[in-house]
Amino acid sequence: MGSLSVRGLTARYGKTVALHGIDLDVVDGEFFVILGPSGAGKTTTLKSVAGLVDAVEGEVRIAGRDMTGVEPYARNVAMAFESYALYPQKTVEQNLASPLRSGRTGSWSVAEQSERIRQVTTTLGIEHLRGRFPRELSNGQRQRTALGRVLVRPADVYLLDEPLSHLDAKLRAAMRAELKQLGEMSRTTTLYVTHDYQEALALGDRVGVLRDGRLVQVGTPQQVWHEPADTFVARMFGQPEMNLFSADLTADLAAVPEGGTAARSRRGGITVGVPASVSGSLSGSVAGGAAGGSVLLGIRPRDLEVLTGPEPSDRLVLRGRVTLAERLGRLVELSVDVAGESVIAVTDDQRVREGDPVSLAVPWEQVHIFGGGAGLDTGNGAGTAAARLGSGAPVSPVVDVSAASGGDR
Amino acid sequence: MTRERQPGQRRFSPASIGADVVLLAWFLFSLFPLIWLVLLSLKSESEQISTFFEFTPTLSNFATVLSDEGARLTSVNFTEALLTSVLNCVGAVLVSLVIGVPAAYAAGRWQYKGSGDVMFTILSFRFAPELMVIVPLFVIYNQLGLFDTNVGMIWVLQLVTMPLIVWILRSYFQDLPPELEQAALLDGYTRKRAFLMVALPLVRPGIAASALLAFIFAWNNYVFPLILTGSSHTPVTVAVTRFLGGGGQAFYSLTAAAAIIAALPPLLVALSIQRYLVRGLSFGAVKA
Repeated sequence: MGSLSVRGLTARYGKTVALHGIDLDVVDGEFFVILGPSGAGKTTTLKSVAGLVDAVEGEVRIAGRDMTGVEPYARNVAMAFESYALYPQKTVEQNLASPLRSGRTGSWSVAEQSERIRQVTTTLGIEHLRGRFPRELSNGQRQRTALGRVLVRPADVYLLDEPLSHLDAKLRAAMRAELKQLGEMSRTTTLYVTHDYQEALALGDRVGVLRDGRLVQVGTPQQVWHEPADTFVARMFGQPEMNLFSADLTADLAAVPEGGTAARSRRGGITVGVPASVSGSLSGSVAGGAAGGSVLLGIRPRDLEVLTGPEPSDRLVLRGRVTLAERLGRLVELSVDVAGESVIAVTDDQRVREGDPVSLAVPWEQVHIFGGGAGLDTGNGAGTAAARLGSGAPVSPVVDVSAASGGDR
Repeated sequence: MTRERQPGQRRFSPASIGADVVLLAWFLFSLFPLIWLVLLSLKSESEQISTFFEFTPTLSNFATVLSDEGARLTSVNFTEALLTSVLNCVGAVLVSLVIGVPAAYAAGRWQYKGSGDVMFTILSFRFAPELMVIVPLFVIYNQLGLFDTNVGMIWVLQLVTMPLIVWILRSYFQDLPPELEQAALLDGYTRKRAFLMVALPLVRPGIAASALLAFIFAWNNYVFPLILTGSSHTPVTVAVTRFLGGGGQAFYSLTAAAAIIAALPPLLVALSIQRYLVRGLSFGAVKA
């Protein structure tokens, strides 16, 4: 058990910089999740903490101890590798016994070893596989064995690299729930890496979003969900991804230009009033100054409600036509053409058909505004437009936006 | 009755039959020296220069080669030469393994400044002609008193065995996922123990294959012992050629018998170990 502190962690592979000065503080016993797309540097971060990466700059402290120049075997960390890294010539039992026999994780009598192994394998549901070799296991069983090799030993920090990634969807959900309840997990400081936002939200005491070797945002699951720092974070969480529209900011109005170039629809462009406090902070960061600029509006598909009754005046209403309705069991995923913009919405209203006109409503406080965007950057996952509100003002979600009249609404 | 041919079904066309004939001819052509060697070894001294296939087979050549009579003819005891060869080659391979396995591991795992040059230098032992270094070696061996000794032979055979073992095993180590040793490090094992406990057992097939190849190359080496040994520590390759005589009579059938005897040990080693040669590294350690 111990805290983990990382300062200015920089890692290079040849000329490629994998990590750009990561700063991270994980308190004793915390479950910290690092979320990011592949290639973001998640595994490198874990291996750097473990001391397995050469050419690392920066400071790593485990339980207050500076780890500079400390060999991996002296760091008292345990790691589950994404590739499992099980010893192929050893059985499951021998694999799990390996950390207990090294003499660096405390001294265990043979009876104590087998008792611990029995406990861990029972918890993970692989007790009956103890005599098998890794090649005789399924991927899910291998992954649980790799996890068991971590849990079987005491450590200051557990480092888990996508420990659920190769399980099938249902087993993953079940293991996610089990993982949360494991005593060892709740007592030991854990750094957990995943690309699955649901895992991150479900497991993490806090979540750090990593992109291109930089931590974009660190916060509780609630914070990263409700107050994404930029469009990249916003898109990382949620399936389907958040709808993003580029809008022109003029004074206190953000308006999405109607219908692209063709202006196919005369009705219902998306226009949002921006409170002065927000627009002030935005214009500071937006090129073009206070007079205007462009921002991005973000609406999560599940925040949109398909209206059946009269349109409420206290919510933003988008009118459009359904171009695609995918039925996914209880839910229907709609693609709606709103004044030339494609909007994704998720509803449980099974009556919606393709071609139907629909009205979608979203509470004002669920509309996110991202500043500083040079344009709509939905194309790549990098979020390069750095759509971030200036000066750290917590303006997203936007609360208290006055209803604006847009078009002939 | 004609049956319709299914896709992929074998068809006998003139081209395919022609190809088979060519292959068969090539097979016979390349195998003929071996056949001739066996036939020659079974011929008596009077028949040894006849090219007819008809002769009275005899095993007396083998007996002569291994007896004192053979030693009298060549002034080298062939049985002792066999033992010398076994000793030299096993010794050379063992020394190469002790030094070469850690070297191969280091070469496969770590890149450092000049690591490529070191590996190239080791490889260059293989493709530099032996005759190029033999004269200085001869002078050095005479000065150090290593001429015509087993230690001297084991030493010089390192030029043959070491590059093979290092280069073959390096690729085996490179194929091992480094995360296996990293896992061992995090389990609390030192790098040395991680190497001994995890990496070494997994390259056993590679060690067997490279050691066998090195043994065969060392066994067949001719130039080094020809120059660097006298009559007391002659290995088998040189001993075989003694039957061709140096100015005296050439005993072709005895040479053939000696060559066959000399070829047996590597053949037996290869047969006994061939499952390691065929078996790949299919382990299931890492996700496929």
